[in-house]
Amino acid sequence: MSDKAALEKLEKLGKSMLQQVKAGVSPTFETPLRSKGNVEYEEGLGYLRLGAKKEERTFLNVGQARTFMQTVAVANKTKKFVKEDLHTSIRGLYYQLKFSLGEDVDESLFEEQSESNVLIEDLEVALGVKREDLHLTTDRKGVVAGEMRVRDNFAGEETVIDCAKQGRSGWMIPSDVDNGMEFVDVEADYVLVVEKDALWQRLNEDRFWKKENCILVTPKGQASRGTRRLLRKLADKRLPVYVMTDCDAWGWYIYWTIKTGSMNLAYLGRDFSIPESRFLGVTMADIEKYAFLKKLTINAKPVDLKRAEEMLGYPWISKHKEWALELKKVLKMKKKLEQDALQGERLTFVGEYVREKIEKKQWLP
Amino acid sequence: MAEGIFSKFKEYSVAEFFKKNRQMLGFSGKVRSLTTIVHEYVTNSLDACGEAGVFPEIEVWVDEEGEGKCRVKVRDNGPGIPKSHVGKALGVMLAGTKFNRYVQQRGQQGIGATGCTMYALVTTGKPIKVLSTHAGTRLECEVGIDFRNNKPLVNVLSEAPGEGSGLEIGGSFGEVKHEKSAYGVYEYLRRTAIANPHATIIFNSGPERFVFPKSVEGLPPKPAEVKPHPLGISAHDLIEKARGAPYQKVSAFLQEEFVRVSLNKVKELQEAVPEVDLGKKPAALTWEDAERLVAGFGKVKWIAPATDSVVPIGTGQVEKSLNSIIGPEFMYVTQRSPKIYRGGIPFVVEAALAYNGKGANGEILRFANRAPLLFDAGGCSITQTIKDVDWKRYGVKSLEEEPLSIFVHFASVHVPYTSAGKQSISDEEEVVDEIRNAVMEAARSLQRHLSGKRRDKELKGKRSAVLRYVEQLSKDMSELGGGKAADGEEVKGRLLKMVEERYGHGKDEGQAEEGAGGREEGEAPPGDGEGGEEE
Repeated sequence: MSDKAALEKLEKLGKSMLQQVKAGVSPTFETPLRSKGNVEYEEGLGYLRLGAKKEERTFLNVGQARTFMQTVAVANKTKKFVKEDLHTSIRGLYYQLKFSLGEDVDESLFEEQSESNVLIEDLEVALGVKREDLHLTTDRKGVVAGEMRVRDNFAGEETVIDCAKQGRSGWMIPSDVDNGMEFVDVEADYVLVVEKDALWQRLNEDRFWKKENCILVTPKGQASRGTRRLLRKLADKRLPVYVMTDCDAWGWYIYWTIKTGSMNLAYLGRDFSIPESRFLGVTMADIEKYAFLKKLTINAKPVDLKRAEEMLGYPWISKHKEWALELKKVLKMKKKLEQDALQGERLTFVGEYVREKIEKKQWLP
Repeated sequence: MAEGIFSKFKEYSVAEFFKKNRQMLGFSGKVRSLTTIVHEYVTNSLDACGEAGVFPEIEVWVDEEGEGKCRVKVRDNGPGIPKSHVGKALGVMLAGTKFNRYVQQRGQQGIGATGCTMYALVTTGKPIKVLSTHAGTRLECEVGIDFRNNKPLVNVLSEAPGEGSGLEIGGSFGEVKHEKSAYGVYEYLRRTAIANPHATIIFNSGPERFVFPKSVEGLPPKPAEVKPHPLGISAHDLIEKARGAPYQKVSAFLQEEFVRVSLNKVKELQEAVPEVDLGKKPAALTWEDAERLVAGFGKVKWIAPATDSVVPIGTGQVEKSLNSIIGPEFMYVTQRSPKIYRGGIPFVVEAALAYNGKGANGEILRFANRAPLLFDAGGCSITQTIKDVDWKRYGVKSLEEEPLSIFVHFASVHVPYTSAGKQSISDEEEVVDEIRNAVMEAARSLQRHLSGKRRDKELKGKRSAVLRYVEQLSKDMSELGGGKAADGEEVKGRLLKMVEERYGHGKDEGQAEEGAGGREEGEAPPGDGEGGEEE
């Protein structure tokens, strides 16, 4: 979203409140309800989003007065950031707003960062903007390598970044890949996402992305907003997205968050999910298929089993027979397998594994 | 009781008897003994001033004189005592002027001041010092007792012409303890002042001086002297009354000296007590006869007496005095209409609640005929009845922890004390009912006050909770909407107005509700309790 569009949305919010005050009614705004009861999964869309339930935030209500004032303060502050074309983290915003409400009031506008964090989400939902549009940055996490070039307009300079020429480190995905950033070209057949940085480094050393003509990404665990946005944009270029994680509930949860989004962040919707992504492995079936893996399993922890049960309960996951089967196997065997185990026989096996899976279309939906 | 004392005077030395039986006169425990001494003198002073029709000004001194000893002095502006009566009043038992009268008074046994004289003699060997100004003569003397003959020993120190009138009496007492507790002299005088707003009472406790000034203009009406009702007399009073009566027969004495006693009723009585000869001379009545007669009175159905002999303090007076001495945030005073107990004794109960003032938390201020009851609280039906009230229903979580003073005054020509110590009222059914009704009526009013206050506080809290955000919000809102600083002020003004409209008028709401729910009793005198509601 352009700065202009974001400014317009913020100002519109302010203007409607001012009109309400002029009319003698309590300033109020409406926002979709973010509770789990209002999270929907729609078959045709393939991602989680918020339903139609709305809630009203109003000032003349003792229970809401403080948060209402805080929300408007956040809105006004971010308006300044956008206007001045400066970025800061949500912690930076918190410090900008952490001041006393007055000499005779023993209360600060914000006491804890957790207070401002949720209000940022409120504002994103209420206005239909991303926090990145409000010039709020998040921590960078995730690395990419491959034949793609990106034009970065930043701090008054324009740079073209070649992701094929980042040596051993790759290009660290910024928190915002939308504003002031565009693809110059992407010369690849598919995108490969590996959960762990260690595996990414292994494949990078093999120049796997060069040989296979793919974009190699690691989210380094749970995917950040920037990584998810980049994957979304690559998928929009009609590149298939394959994901590889550990064979355990946590790894699979990382995959499902990339694919459909999560319950907690359902408000992010389509922009942050890649329903067309596919799961390459590691799977319970692999253990049976590759003899050497059998010896490399480790015991599942209670938290893994609990997560597996939870995922079985999500209809958008359990509707896939293959996934229901995998999850049930985990619950039965109480074992898990790390993707690093693929290097158990020889270091270059990982590449062979990926190639074979893609060639034989041995992926899970 | 006193009858018993004097029948034994000849056999024992009075001092010995006194030592053994002094608790009957209120001399039990060191603290209580001191309070009793002050009580006897102050009561006499109040009664004497009442008789003379002057506003009592009573000053009390208590000075510690070393180990368990105190010097006590009480000075009043009453009529004083003529020389001829000094010995009788302070050195002979049962010689008070009030003894043979059936009238609502504080003490009725007449042993009080003489009891103090005895206590001084027994504990320190020193007589009582008296300075009396009466009818132009200023008399200074010492009064002791010839125990053997129950005769006063008066040693006149000086006698001279003097102006005005008044009595100053005091002495040194042993086996006493001076302390500022719920049973001490200070508390006794504070409560006496509450029940006697027409009196000024000053207390000098060593170097400390406490003044309870008169809080009303107007003397209390003198209680009317009425003939007793048969149901309101004790065996002892009956004998005393009969002793000097100029009648040939008991039957005539009863018809002439009591109300509601007719010839027919005498016949009924004779049937009820055939063993007492109603034809004999009144003076010939024995103690046993008297006891039988009193029991017989209870078996006959009498017409109730008129109730106009009972003089309550009055709601207005109680209110003024509580305001002056406790100064509460809220107060409710009620006076019940006269009722009868034991089938024939009229009485009136007054009650008041004073919330959030200078009183001790949950204190129960008990009074009988304007005299404070400090001791034997546990055995008193006033205390019991108050504790039995379900205070939580009235918004009082715990009686002991709330800043609440509960005042109950019992007024009657005959107070049903549980014992000779005269410190607690027995649980007569009708009396208990009246106390309960009075206290609950006051409690209902307190409840309305408390819930109104809570509502008020809640609204105030809400108002300030919202108000503190107006400044910041109006600034951000107008900036967000693209306005100028000037607009911010306008937005602020509008927001403030909205907050006031929503949360600023809690008081009105509360009062409207209070008005609707209140006064269901219809008995509360106008103006009661309202004074305390303003903040």
